[in-house]
Amino acid sequence: MTTHSTELTVGRPRRGSIGTIFESLTSLVERRRLVWYLTISEIRNKGTNSLLGNVWWFLDPALQLFVYFLLVSVIFQQAQPAILLFLGAAILPWKWFTAALASATTSVRGREQVMRQIAFPHLVLPASSVLASVANFIFALVPLGALYLLYPDRLTPWALAVLPVAVVQFLWTIPAVIALSAVAVFFRDISNFIPHGLRIWFYLSPALFPIETLRAIGDRHPWFGFFVDINPFTWIFSGYRDALYYGRAPEWGPLGILALASIPATLLSIYLFRRVSPLFVKVL
Amino acid sequence: MAQRKISRVQAAPPPILLTGLGVQYDLRLSKKRKLRDTVLRDGRHSQSGKFWALRDVDFRVEAGESVAVIGPNGAGKSTMLQVLAGILEPSVGKVEVRGKIATLLQLGAGFDPELNARENTLLVGEFLGIPHKEMVRRVPAILEFAGLGEFAEAEVRTYSTGMRARLGFSVATSVEPDVLLLDEVLSTGDAAFIEKSRGRIMELMKRARAIVFVTHDLDSAATFCTRAIELEGGRIVADGPAKRVIAAYKKKMAKRSATASRSGQGARRGN
Repeated sequence: MTTHSTELTVGRPRRGSIGTIFESLTSLVERRRLVWYLTISEIRNKGTNSLLGNVWWFLDPALQLFVYFLLVSVIFQQAQPAILLFLGAAILPWKWFTAALASATTSVRGREQVMRQIAFPHLVLPASSVLASVANFIFALVPLGALYLLYPDRLTPWALAVLPVAVVQFLWTIPAVIALSAVAVFFRDISNFIPHGLRIWFYLSPALFPIETLRAIGDRHPWFGFFVDINPFTWIFSGYRDALYYGRAPEWGPLGILALASIPATLLSIYLFRRVSPLFVKVL
Repeated sequence: MAQRKISRVQAAPPPILLTGLGVQYDLRLSKKRKLRDTVLRDGRHSQSGKFWALRDVDFRVEAGESVAVIGPNGAGKSTMLQVLAGILEPSVGKVEVRGKIATLLQLGAGFDPELNARENTLLVGEFLGIPHKEMVRRVPAILEFAGLGEFAEAEVRTYSTGMRARLGFSVATSVEPDVLLLDEVLSTGDAAFIEKSRGRIMELMKRARAIVFVTHDLDSAATFCTRAIELEGGRIVADGPAKRVIAAYKKKMAKRSATASRSGQGARRGN
């Protein structure tokens, strides 16, 4: 019998808030390969079980764009030049966000089996959902790029600025997914509520109409103007639209502030996630 | 919440040490759990909706011991294994497990149906936290032991239940553990594989420093284990040499079922 390897594997003492966050982050780094495997499997699973398979990655955003195009330009007869590009610049990134939140509601809950059998840092689950959601954005770039065939004169070098804007969106997707994945364990009803909540949020953001429309309402009702200002998607949509549609520089100031503000939000979400994660196995 | 005391490392700390351990479930958080039905009439279930699955458990396993955990359904046996495996954190008290752990709870956990045997082996290895290189090295042996034949390249969703369990068993037992946690897995697959897996478990048991074995199969517990503890209502009610504890438990159960069937007949006669 060996007498060595007496290292404590279960029952490490609990740490303070900074220690907890630090421990969670190191566990992600240690399990980066697991995060990657889970990401790949999540992306792959989306493509299976349907006739058109991976074609849906392109078709889905394209169809959604078409629906809003009908709504805005045919039914509401809103006159906006290059309307498809105008809409696409906001709708396609939004699709990424909604897909991320939808997968967040199941990312922890759906792994009930393995959580009951193996001890592992649960944070890898929402982390991989965040990463897998990026696929939505990458594939949406294809229909988005195709729109420039219709409006070639709209294409400027500023189109490359979508990348920093997307980074800002990504930075806010992280805490949103982590927090939601934990909440969804305790309140299953939240997955019913999320689509409606997201729809309201969508209509209160400058997606189907220019920012000026919201600003006009804000001038009449200052509280509404305040909400427009603190809504991250006001700035994110405007950023995409500046880059893709107007062919000008996005407003770096507010985007930079948003990016910085995502850091405390992410750390807080990680801390809260870690604090409630011991309950997951008991509740699921 | 777990106690924050840091344990001082002694000269030869035991592989497993539980002190004043309690695991509490809050039934208000998990309304769908079956626990509620089984336990509703139980005294452990207080009015606040909290329920102690394990309570006041002090348990120490020395190196070289293999301990059978016996007791009726809902006694807290599986909870105990989950705590030892680090899956559940105790509500009060302290858990200390030293060394590499292998848990054989339910087999095939963590498999992704869209991946093949090799990829799933690596995936579960990552869940278990085994270094990637080591896992890659072990893959051929794992696949060979599972005996999947031409199915090794196919996605796991195409597997039969037995094949899935065989692969799960073979991945789970590929680690060389210091502490081995078993939950009734000796009945996996067909007769030939049961024989083979029994051999593998014996091998692991020989090498592990400590074994905890949860089972309803009292005869195999009496053969494999040096010591047995009996759980009832979340507490340890008997602890001692395996043969003695198991014999006493059998007698108790026989008596209980006799009383139960007598009262059952009485009720029927009454109707």
